Amino acid sequence: MIEATGISVSIGSKRIVSDVDFEMRPGEIAAIVGPNGSGKTTFLKALSGDLPYTGRVAINNRDIAGLKPWETASMRAVLPQATALSFPFTVHEVVKLGLMSGRSGALAGEERNLPERALARVDLDGFAGRFYQELSGGEQQRVQLARVLCQVWAPVLEGKPRYLFLDEPISSLDIKHQLTIMDIARDFARRGGGVVAILHDLNLTAMYADRIYVMHRGRLAAAGSPRDVLKDDLISKVFECDLKVGALPAGNAPFVLPQSVAL
Amino acid sequence: MEKRASVGDRSGRAKLAIALLAVLLVLTMLFSLTSGASDASALAVVRDWLFPSMSDGSALSARDRIIVYDIRLPRVVLGVLIGAALAVSGAVMQGLFRNPLADPGLVGVSSGAGLGAIVVIVLGGTFLGPVLALFGIYTLPLAAFSGGLATTLILYRVATRRGQTSIATMLLAGIALGAMASAFSGIMVYLADDRQLRDLTFWGLGSLAGATWTKIAAAGPIIALAIIVSPFLARGLNALALGEAAAHHLGIPVQRFKNVAIVSVAAATGASVAVSGGIGFVGIVVPHLLRLLIGPDNRYLLPASALLGASMLLLADAVSRTIVAPAELPIGIITAAVGGPFFLWILLRKRGVLDL
Repeated sequence: MIEATGISVSIGSKRIVSDVDFEMRPGEIAAIVGPNGSGKTTFLKALSGDLPYTGRVAINNRDIAGLKPWETASMRAVLPQATALSFPFTVHEVVKLGLMSGRSGALAGEERNLPERALARVDLDGFAGRFYQELSGGEQQRVQLARVLCQVWAPVLEGKPRYLFLDEPISSLDIKHQLTIMDIARDFARRGGGVVAILHDLNLTAMYADRIYVMHRGRLAAAGSPRDVLKDDLISKVFECDLKVGALPAGNAPFVLPQSVAL
Repeated sequence: MEKRASVGDRSGRAKLAIALLAVLLVLTMLFSLTSGASDASALAVVRDWLFPSMSDGSALSARDRIIVYDIRLPRVVLGVLIGAALAVSGAVMQGLFRNPLADPGLVGVSSGAGLGAIVVIVLGGTFLGPVLALFGIYTLPLAAFSGGLATTLILYRVATRRGQTSIATMLLAGIALGAMASAFSGIMVYLADDRQLRDLTFWGLGSLAGATWTKIAAAGPIIALAIIVSPFLARGLNALALGEAAAHHLGIPVQRFKNVAIVSVAAATGASVAVSGGIGFVGIVVPHLLRLLIGPDNRYLLPASALLGASMLLLADAVSRTIVAPAELPIGIITAAVGGPFFLWILLRKRGVLDL
């Protein structure tokens, strides 16, 4: 379980995140949506312990402020928006960095070829020997996801659930790989872990998220299930454009249709 | 049979390279011990070392023994220490700044360390006398360490914002800091007397000449400590290659780690500068060559750098002793003559990527 209460973050004199409450149970995918500059990434950085914040963040009932970096690292892995490397690492070497904390939760013997298996998961078979710096942005993002998966390979370790924090994991990916990555997230959650993801695609959010947190100007505008949160007036107001929510015949899942201003 | 190494995994190649580099270092040391004006052969030296009591016709003469043990051996030991220190501190600094061009010599850390040493040399006889008396032979290395540490800290503060080091800012700040250190050093030179001046000129160019067991006793422990610490920095430096935030996510206590790395770079650089002056380019050439060969994984890069740095400096020293024999060229001239063009080559290869 991840609980964040009353999280506020200021950078300099500017308040980026104000008083956000967040809660996620294992087995869930929690999506954070909102317009650019609404504080999504900053909030995720507070959850990751990257930025000074006020309020309290607890992972599995332990306040992260009192945890050693490696203790936190054994409970959650973080995928940043983009990662540039300054040295010529191969894809294999980058993915292997995820095994650094030594508690991936892989079975003995499995750990040996974990980088290969993680690469296969993100559909990068045959990329192990390539140089990271020579890959496209979308491929680099999938390599980083493979690294992050290595860090918390088992969604549950010693009876305790583990978590993936994903900052725009699919923004630079083609549609096939967007689905690949979201399926990995869903699989991780169904096997007992938890996933927090910042997403921009409201339709994929509706398809995959168990809970949606809508951020607007640093505050939480709404939180709840896709069906509760995705309402015409709420999301139109937050995203400042005309959006219509419909329901798919199959399963009654909501979808979001933008209305061009010109129409 | 050993399982086939997975594609993209260069650790097997790296381990082989380290073994070969260790052999190379032993050979280079033997070569350095036995080359020079005296004709004591390698075989005789090894035999004398292994069986000192044996006294057939092939044993070392008393004169050769003095040459080997009191002149050449300290020089070889010092060369190994300095070469390893320069190459390792270059590699650590590059990892810390996430930048293949960071090198203590290029970004003013050596100049800062040099200033610390010069101040002690020139003012040692005046009001710094009590300091000299307190620290004894360690005064010079400690002064150089302090100068190097101060420079590194200022550089890091100036060039790094929110965990990102700007290449341009780092190099330019290095030029500024180097110029300031040179200016103060110039003032010190102006104050120096004739004897001090001779010391300073000779030492400023960088040289292993005048290596003594005393100098090794003064700088050796500091350098050895920095080199022994370096393997423990490897994982952190690897994680840091992904950025400070990612290193934190992987469980590295980033701030404390950076402090240890900065102090160890300053210690290795300071102690080297104190006993052998500013020997440039070893710290950039050696790690760069090795990254091409075995990749940037610091678990292998750091030990390999120590071994290759030591070998390369011994070879450069052999050249400096023989090229204008019986006189001697300062070794800094050799490393600069080789390292300068090499540095330009790196810039040519990378100018598209580096975005200066």
